[in-house]
Amino acid sequence: MKPTLLHRYATFVTAMTGILIFAGGLVTSTNSGLSVPDWPLSYGTAFPPMIGGIRFEHTHRLIAGTVGVLTLVLAIAVWRAESRRWMKGLGLAALLAVVAQAVLGGLTVIYLLPAWISVTHACLAQTFFSLVASIALFTSNEWREGRVEPCEYAGSLRRLLITTTAFAWLQLVAGAIVRHTGRGLRWHFALAFLIALHILFIVLKSARDKSTRERLFPHAVLLGGLVTTQIFLGFGSFIFTRMLKAEIPTTGEVLFTTAHQTLGAMILAGTALLALRSYRLLAAPPSASRSAVPARGSLV
Amino acid sequence: MKTRFLLVLTLGLFALSSPAHALTGSVKLDGAAPAPETISADADPTCKAVHPDGITNDQVIVGANGELKNVFVYVKEGVTGKFEAPKESVVFDQKGCQYSPKVFGIQTGQTLEIVNSDSTLHNVHALPKNSKEFNLGMPVQNMKLKKKFDKPEVMVKIKCEVHPWMGAWAGVLDHPFFAVSGDDGKFDIKNLPPGQYVIEAWHEKYGTQTQNVTVTDQPQDITFTFKAA
Repeated sequence: MKPTLLHRYATFVTAMTGILIFAGGLVTSTNSGLSVPDWPLSYGTAFPPMIGGIRFEHTHRLIAGTVGVLTLVLAIAVWRAESRRWMKGLGLAALLAVVAQAVLGGLTVIYLLPAWISVTHACLAQTFFSLVASIALFTSNEWREGRVEPCEYAGSLRRLLITTTAFAWLQLVAGAIVRHTGRGLRWHFALAFLIALHILFIVLKSARDKSTRERLFPHAVLLGGLVTTQIFLGFGSFIFTRMLKAEIPTTGEVLFTTAHQTLGAMILAGTALLALRSYRLLAAPPSASRSAVPARGSLV
Repeated sequence: MKTRFLLVLTLGLFALSSPAHALTGSVKLDGAAPAPETISADADPTCKAVHPDGITNDQVIVGANGELKNVFVYVKEGVTGKFEAPKESVVFDQKGCQYSPKVFGIQTGQTLEIVNSDSTLHNVHALPKNSKEFNLGMPVQNMKLKKKFDKPEVMVKIKCEVHPWMGAWAGVLDHPFFAVSGDDGKFDIKNLPPGQYVIEAWHEKYGTQTQNVTVTDQPQDITFTFKAA
């Protein structure tokens, strides 16, 4: 497979994974997780009547199956087309992750939504999304051929981005715990504040220098927009789930909570990709490269 | 020998003629009942055909004079002895995309016969904390399944995730002294031996109330009044 085609395909798989995360969010938001009591079949068939909660749960299963096949093809394509050994490893990791995710999905049904399995299922979903998005980045023209520019604050920007990615991942765990157990809202709020603050610093920092202004700044601004929207969605979700507390989830609640969850996945992936791009596109000055921060092209 | 026979016969006849001690009563709602909400049944054409204008939320059903239906009334404290589970099953039906009955009592070890009278499918998800949770698919009309609860628990939620408006409650007890208020708000706990008891009334929306009651040979009538929120 040609590199360009592989990149396009990886981007397509990433987009499909985003849709899958949204579909999974709908299952949780509509409380439809156990509307189909058996797994892997649904009421003993591959195509049950698409009524009530089954519409959400079975659609999620169908998209998940599709993403599973797409990931298998991606892993094979990466294995065959890539000369970089770590890329082959990433393809394999994506395949193992999607299989593990399917098993976790089945276990949630069989064991009637135990919180720790549901939380793990949610966390692995978004981690997988970031992983596939990274494969799309690593196969892109920018990664393969992008020019490297010196940046005097590359080190501090990278540290900031790594920290923010770590916070975004912890936020994913905190959000999943809130969603599936109702606990840990304080941590979720605290992490939201930290992430928003860090993204603001990233935007400001990436606007400072010509080396980052052209390529990283728009990405950072996009992240800033996503985080702003996410805070709005988070407050909306809080109002719907904690203050209004409808017996049967309303359309507003379903849309807010699902969008909040999906945007969380996009912020995590977006932050991780920006961190990776900072390693690929920026070169730390000699004084900085002597520190613990890797120099340019360390992942190429 | 003849004397002993006559004594046993006399005691037996006395036992048979002894009146069953009934604890009867009624449940009322003080205040205005919430306006009934209508839930769309569009998600399932079969349900929509039965409820073209939507399904009315059946959480609070009140009569003209405040009679409150679906209140589970049971003896919470004071019962002694062990009671065999009745051989007859409690029938729990899914009909017209609603549960019937919505609130019921069942003894531990007694068979719960779950029926699907609908031509659409349902899942029956019981969420006890003390007994084993179960989630069963019932895709075929007139399908029947049997389950039991092992441990007492007031109340056990039962729901259908296919049709989110469907919810029911089971009061699981290790004795037979319970009842559910009917359309007239009345309940009747039969064969309760004389003694002192704590009687609890449970309602899905209005919570619980208790009363201390002394049951004698005379019929006794009590009233629970829930305040509308």
